[in-house]
Amino acid sequence: MKALVVDDSMTIRRIVIKALGIAGIADTTEAGDGVEAVDATKADKFDVILLDWNMPKMSGIDTLRAIRQAGDKTPVIMVTTEAEKSRVIEAIKSGANDYLIKPFSPDQLAEKVKGVVGAPA
Amino acid sequence: MDVHFINPFVEGVDSVFQTMLQVEPKRCPVQVGHKGNGHSAALTSLVGISGQVQGVVVLRFPPETALQLASRMLGTNLDTVNDEVVDAIAEIVNMVAGSAKAKFNCDPPLDLGLPTVVLGSNYKVKYPSGATWLKVPFESEAGNFTLELTFESH
Repeated sequence: MKALVVDDSMTIRRIVIKALGIAGIADTTEAGDGVEAVDATKADKFDVILLDWNMPKMSGIDTLRAIRQAGDKTPVIMVTTEAEKSRVIEAIKSGANDYLIKPFSPDQLAEKVKGVVGAPA
Repeated sequence: MDVHFINPFVEGVDSVFQTMLQVEPKRCPVQVGHKGNGHSAALTSLVGISGQVQGVVVLRFPPETALQLASRMLGTNLDTVNDEVVDAIAEIVNMVAGSAKAKFNCDPPLDLGLPTVVLGSNYKVKYPSGATWLKVPFESEAGNFTLELTFESH
């Protein structure tokens, strides 16, 4: 399985990648903003996308919309500090499959990933 | 500024430090001031909040504390303040502010800026006259640090 990790923080990307390891996913690609993320989805296929909200160049919600408008149905989990209910609803309506609020533990993220892609063989 | 503004941010510090850093910070008494406090810390991370409530959230760290926290966050042993440490410290203030802003329950939600980190202590910051700052020192097994914020509600 292959994951795309999108966050402008290198620290969070590393923590997410470590948590993906717990979920059994070792093949990861990193993107530091939404533009890089959209380019990555055009160049490659992923089994899950972990997507931050507040990023430079293109926000996570705009990235999500761009990915869905391109017809890409890859499961997307928003991983963000945006904790308001209205934000969660906006993300789900825009095509997010699940939502994880920072701060999070690696186990919480691994459970979310397993929930959208199933346990890797 | 209502001193109770500080509570969501203190809870944010607790949540971020316990969940992401496995650190139990101990809060010291709140201090109130009318100008930015001294800048003895070597790493200062700050993020702006805008919307119905506007303000700035600041975390100040001595270098030893910053190194401890970044090492815990990244699961590695860092002994020099480098880009990794700066990135980790920026993300800590981002998560503290994000955790707090949801508790204001504003509609539309408050907006967070992108976090900024200032290195060094030899600088001055000018604030609007009359701005009130709340300061909460914390002690922890990873070292001491300080939360500061100034806010006004519209």
